[in-house]
Parts: sequence; structure tokens; C-alpha cells
Amino acid sequence: MPGPVGPDRVREVAAAALEIPGADDVEVLFLHEWGGLTRFASSAIHQSTWREDTGLRVRVVAGDRIGVAGTNDFSETGARAAAESAREMADVVAPDPLFPGLAPADRLEDESGFDQATASTGPERRADGVAALVGACSNGFAAAGAFETMGSEVAVANTNGQFCWAPRTMASLTTVVTGGEGGSGFAEVFAAGVDELDPGAIGRRAAAKAEASQRPRDLEPGRYPVVLEPSAVSTLVGFLAWIGFGGRLIAEGRSCLSGRHGERVAADSVTIYDDAREPGTLGIPFDFEGVPRSRVELIDRGVFHDGVYDRRTARLAGKDPTGHALPPPNPEGPFPLNLFMAPGDASLEEMISSVEHGLLVTRFHYTNVVHPVESTVTGMTRDGTFLIRDGEIAHPVKNLRFTQSILESLQATTMVGRDTELASEFFFSASRVPALKVESFQFTGGSDH
Amino acid sequence: MLDVARQAVEAAAAAGADYADGRVVADDSESLTVRNQAMEGIDRSSSEGIGIRVLVDGYWGFAATARLEPAEIERTAALAVEIARAAARLPRDPVRLAEVEPVTGSWHSPMQEDPFHVPLEEKVALLMEATRRMQQIPGVTFAEGGIDLNRRRTHLATSEGTAIEQTSVHTGAGIEAVALGDGEMQRRSFPNSFRGHVAAAGWEHVQKIGLIDEAERTGTEAVELLRAPECPSEVTTLVLDSGQMELQIHESIGHPVELDRVLGMEEAYAGSSFVRPEDRGRLRYASDLVSITADATLPGGLGSFGWDDEGVPAQRTPIIVDGVFQDFISSRETASVLDLPSSGAMRADGWQNLPLIRMTNISIEPREGSLADLIGDTDDGVFMSTNTSWSIDDKRVNFQFGCEIAWRIKNGRLVQMYRNPNYTGITTEFWGSCDAVGGREDWTLWGTPNCGKGQPGQTARVGHGAAPARFRGVRVGVRG
Repeated sequence: MPGPVGPDRVREVAAAALEIPGADDVEVLFLHEWGGLTRFASSAIHQSTWREDTGLRVRVVAGDRIGVAGTNDFSETGARAAAESAREMADVVAPDPLFPGLAPADRLEDESGFDQATASTGPERRADGVAALVGACSNGFAAAGAFETMGSEVAVANTNGQFCWAPRTMASLTTVVTGGEGGSGFAEVFAAGVDELDPGAIGRRAAAKAEASQRPRDLEPGRYPVVLEPSAVSTLVGFLAWIGFGGRLIAEGRSCLSGRHGERVAADSVTIYDDAREPGTLGIPFDFEGVPRSRVELIDRGVFHDGVYDRRTARLAGKDPTGHALPPPNPEGPFPLNLFMAPGDASLEEMISSVEHGLLVTRFHYTNVVHPVESTVTGMTRDGTFLIRDGEIAHPVKNLRFTQSILESLQATTMVGRDTELASEFFFSASRVPALKVESFQFTGGSDH
Repeated sequence: MLDVARQAVEAAAAAGADYADGRVVADDSESLTVRNQAMEGIDRSSSEGIGIRVLVDGYWGFAATARLEPAEIERTAALAVEIARAAARLPRDPVRLAEVEPVTGSWHSPMQEDPFHVPLEEKVALLMEATRRMQQIPGVTFAEGGIDLNRRRTHLATSEGTAIEQTSVHTGAGIEAVALGDGEMQRRSFPNSFRGHVAAAGWEHVQKIGLIDEAERTGTEAVELLRAPECPSEVTTLVLDSGQMELQIHESIGHPVELDRVLGMEEAYAGSSFVRPEDRGRLRYASDLVSITADATLPGGLGSFGWDDEGVPAQRTPIIVDGVFQDFISSRETASVLDLPSSGAMRADGWQNLPLIRMTNISIEPREGSLADLIGDTDDGVFMSTNTSWSIDDKRVNFQFGCEIAWRIKNGRLVQMYRNPNYTGITTEFWGSCDAVGGREDWTLWGTPNCGKGQPGQTARVGHGAAPARFRGVRVGVRG
């Protein structure tokens, strides 16, 4: 049965790298992942997989020169070879004058996010879950999606004496239900444990939306008030993190939030923070260079507070590291992986009933950046877009293209949902966000379905 | 390593598989990044393991491990069979595989000088000099250069008797200048955005790119863009350079003709396609000038190989001929649904992943004239170059793409630079409006090393041969 290799064995293997001669300092990042993903389409399982891999990334410091080498040979031999390769690179490359040194010793081991039942879930349980989800679809409708259960283990060791280790688990079930006379519905749940998923309920939610989405009508693009469900909000928050919250972007003037510390950038009701330790996310309590993760207030009641920092970026900006490094060498800088948008007090129904003529958006698709400094992104709606008229859902509409500044949409936010959902826009990160009502959202085109 | 792959196949058969393939993959990569005369990152990585795919009673199973010792191979093969049996809990039509002749052999991508053997000092010196020349342009805030190398060795054995080994070496390099000022950030890249131009070639490819020669122009244009007006919002004639055509082909032709999408197998994640099986030979996809071919035999293409990851030989497949859709790219499973032979497009991202239908080298066939001829023949319009962003709906109908730079065309001349250009359209309407495709002289076989698809997410390295082209009546300058 696969499972964590444990801190003792990680220490043994890491020691082979930490002890190589000729290096001033060495850091070893250990990543171990295992798990299965059962994929389904047309209400049948068409791709079902399992994999296990270990990875070592060794960073060697020679003065202010750095080399990084990675291998998936998790053994003393593999660790030593990676360290020697990294040292060879460090010997010949140009210096990095901003390198701040490796993380100091601050030992941390945390097993709180590990669920053995999830880590050892077999293909039969995932298949039965898919069957329960598919069973929620009416005749003429079919489900597609993925049911994933995985375990992971992260550790960082360095020659300053730092050692941190944490195993984690994650389960997710995502589906799109299609059929009838055109229209589709979507639902997904991310959780730390497989027991938290209710496949039948997820299927029912997507199926109900697919049935409500039948025969969508054309709608003229333009500015509309919108109610964004949490999945759509997670896209906006995830992209804001990508183009806005990284300390390096901020310090270098490339962020839409550069130079705006203390400035109002969103409505009073909008608070966004990053906290890997708060219940309800899938966080690891330290970053990929072994710095404990701090809670960071990013936007506090509409006012931009600050971004997140790794050690190098903190030195660049004259700040303290917040524990948000990605794996080295990472030229892009730090990133918040465990975002939260604070809930408000409105129900989804209250938001809909407050709209005279606007749209309800289930989720966005294939979003990308148009103008990073203005925080403008474009993308499509998908799997359930509805016209709201006089406070009620009037009918489904065909998918629309939006081109919209994220910060402007947060400034135009007038209602915040009381319930939050965990959603993932980018690999390795997740945001827990509520639904939002935004008074003005720009749609610039439409599609045929 | 073929012995390891064969052992996996035998173990899977012993566990009850009707069909099995074992694929041992060893990946090596090297990546260097220099910015403003400092080393931003230097990184070497290696990964090796085996993926075992089985069919049991018409249901797929797949399991992968990094450990190649015999007991682990046996355990993983048995797990793949267990996974396939679990899939049978939801009944479906059993998978059928299109016939393919078993093959044995080896293949290596073309290469003159192994880029992994070029001294690091030489690579760093090239990036330092190219970025120094950009940085000396007043107004350039960041000058960045990167080199990326990738080598993949694959050993594939199947229960039908195929036993092949292949090695691909991909080499790429590029530079980028960023200018900041007055709330604007402008970027120029050479020879293409997102780390340059990657090819299935050796170090000779980097030496031909000309990073140092083009550094000054790249930096100058980034600074000039800061002062340029916004691209106006209008409906006009649009000329795209070869680099942007690469992305246009990729998103609005390459993906929609993947047969797994068409059959709904990607519905929940990246979406499906507006193209239907019955559209073969009938759908008017583009104007008469547009012919598109998938060709896995093109020397230098990231989508070139000897055989795909099902052992199907590399081949050339007409996708669109004179504007009419002809055929999909397919796998053995999906081709059998249409009673066709596989087009040989199944590839996996490393040993960890199941093969999926991936683009090979999907290219527009060149017609006539240079980019200069095309612009010279245009009375009024906008010329856009070098992709910055892309977005397309879940059936590949409505798209919007952004570019780094544009110019107004007036009476055959470029008269005004524009910043932040973008354009939007509907796939078949847009391609139907194409009234000129450039010739061989400005046709480039680009590499796209970051094509995402599938769950778990996979990244494929694909190629696109692209010539500049002209489109009429296109909406440009979309504002938020």
C-alpha cells in the first residue's frame, strides 16, 4: 500500500546531498505524490490511471552563485548525483547578487492534513462514486468528469539545520452534465478527505443545472450586472493572484497593485487573504524553501495591504519573507497558494432577487490576461449562464465572452455570499471564495452554444 | 530498457490483460534564465519511469511507477489490470483498437551538435551578451534571455509485438525586453514569445536564431510601444505574422480536429469541438486558400517522431484541403469508432501519463509571396505580430487573441505602431475571410512546447508550420 516514506527516510536521503564537498550551502526539496484519477465521459469510465513519483530538487550555493538540479531517483545515489550536478552549475554560472541565503532552522512536522482512507483509495471506490454521480442524470443526459484521490508528501532540509515535513491528501470530483436540447451543467468539490465528497449530490447539482440550461438563447453582449457563483469568482481571484499578489511583481512595478499599498482597490465588502493553516483549504504549513507560511492580508475591506514574499523577493523589497516560495529556481517569484475571500451575509437567492436585468454565471472557461497592469482578463462563460429579469431566472443564454478588469469588478461588488466553496484555478493552488454580485461586468462577444 | 518494457507487458498479460503496452521514458532537461546581467535560474532535471497500459474485456487501465525493479513492475502491471476491472463497473461499449502492423526499430530526431554537451559557460555568455544589448537601450527595464533543452528517450513494447526505441532532442532559446512607464508595461520578444523558438534540433538551432543580432531592435520596440497609441477598436483587414499564425492554427484548427474532443472524451475539462464526425469532406472550414496538414515526419518539428506512443508510424494527414475539412487526428481507439486507421497522434507527457491524442506538426501550406508582399498589397488594415494571450470557448468557436505589437497599414506601408493589440472572431468565419497566405520564404516551423490537455494535466510539445496571412473584416482592439 503506498503511503508517506516518512521524515526519517527523507532525512537519510537528503543527507547524501547536504554532505557533498565544495558547497557553501545545500538545500533539498523532497516531493512525493501518489494516487488515482478516474476519468469518465458519456457516463462511462474511459480513462482510469494511477501513478506514484518522488522528486528531489537540490539547490547548491557557492558564494552568490546558485545551481539547481532535480531527479526522481529517490535514493542516496540520486541525491548525491543531483547535488554534484547543481554544484557544477553553481561553479560556472553568473552570480545572483540578491540571493539571501537559505532558510534558518525552524523545524516543523505536521501530519494534520493527512487522511489514510484518501491516500489508499482504490479504483473500485472511485468507480462506485462515478456510478453514483452518473445515476443522478436523467434520461437523455450524460456526465463527464474526473474523480481523483491523491496523497502527497513535502519536505525541505538544508545545511542551516532546517527540516520540515508534511504529508497531505486531496480528493476532488468534478463533472459536466450535457444533453437534452443543448445546455450543460457543472459541479465540483475539492476536499482533504474522500469521505467529504458526496458523488450523488454533485451529480444532482450538475444535472439540475444542465436541465435548467436547455435551449439557451442569444443575448447581445454589453455591460450587465452579474451574480458570479464561487467557481467563477475563483477564476478572478486566481488570476488576480497571478498578476497582482506576487511580491516580486509588486516590487518591480509589474503588478496591477504596484505602488498601491494602502489604497482602496475594491469595495468595502471585499477581503482577500492567504492562509495555508486555516481550515477549509489544502495548505502545507511551510513553503518550498522551508519558511513557515504566514497568513497575509492581501486586500483588507477593500484596501490593498501587501503581497506575498519568498526570501529573495523579500530582500529585493526590504520586507520579511511570508513563506510563499515556489520550488527553485522559480524566476517568477512567490505565489499565494491558499487564498480566501471572506464571506458576506447574502444568499445566492438574495443576490439573484436583487438583479433587475443581469446574468447569473456558473463558471468561466479558458481565461487569460489581456492587460496585466489594468488587471484585464478575457474568457468565456460555460456550463450554465442565465438571464436574470426582475429578480428571477428568466432563461439560459448562450455562452458569452467577457473582457473585464478584475479590480474594477471587485470595486463594483455590492453583495458577497455567505457560503464559500473551495475551487482550483491553477495546479497546486486553491481558493475558498463566496459568490459575488457585481454591478457592472463587460461582455464583449458571444458563441453559438 | 526494452527488456523492462517487455517484462511489464508479460506481467500484465499474466494478470489478465487482453492487450498491454509498457513504455519506459527517461527525460532530461536543462534550463537557463538570465535577467539584467544576473542569473535568474539554472536548472537540470531528470525523470525516469514506466507507464503500463492495459485493456481488460474492453476497458482501459493504466498505472505508472518510477521504480523499475522487477517486483515493482509486476505490482504496477497488476494494478493496471485491477484499475481496468474497476472501470467495468460502469458498462460501456468495449474499446476496439484500429489495426496496426507490429513494428521494431529505432528513431532519433535530427541533430548536429548535442546541446547538452555545449559548455554552460558558452550558454551563459550568449544570454549575457544578448541581454546586455537590450539593456543598453534607454527605457528597457528588464532584459531577459533563456535557453531550454529537453531530451526524451522512449522504449515501447506492446503485447502485439511492437518493440521500438526513440530519442528526441529539443532545443530552444529566446530573448525578451520589458519597458515600464506611466502605468503601462510593454514587452517585445524575439524570435517568439514565451521563451523563443524551440525545435527538434541541436545547438546549431540556437546559433542560427540570432539572439545577439536582434537584441537591439527587440529592446527598441519595447520602449517605442510605451509611447505608441492603443490599437483602435474597429472592424478592419488584419495581417498576422507567422508567429501569431502558429497560435491561431493551434487553437482554432489543431485542437478542434482532435477526435477524442469530437467524441466528448475531453468534455469536462478543456471542452469538446464544433466539428462533428459527419463533417469529414463536407465542412467549409476556411477559404479556398487555406490547406492544413498534420505531418509527424517534418524534420525539426516538435511533433515529429518515428512512431506514436501506440506504435503507429508517423504520417502526413490532410486536415483541410482548399478550405474543406478532410480528417481528424486520431488514436487507435477513436479511429476505430469511425472505422478508420489511426492517424498516429497518441503521445504521453512522460512515463507518468496515459497517451492522449496530441497535435503532431499542424501546419498551413504556404501559398505565394513574402510578408512584405502581403503588407504591400493591403490598402488599409492592421498588422499584428507575436502572441501574448489566447482564449477560446469550450467548443473552439469564439476566440480572442492578443499580440505584442501592431502597425497600421496604409497604402501598402506600415505607418503607425499600436500597443496592446488584440482581435476576436468566430473560427469558421475568420478562416473563411482569409484572402492571402504567404509563401515558403516567410513560412516557419515553430515549436509549441506547452500545449496543455487531459486529467491529470499533461503538457505536449507540438509543432506548427506557419506563413503570414491576411483576413478581411476582423474585429480588432477589444476593450474591457
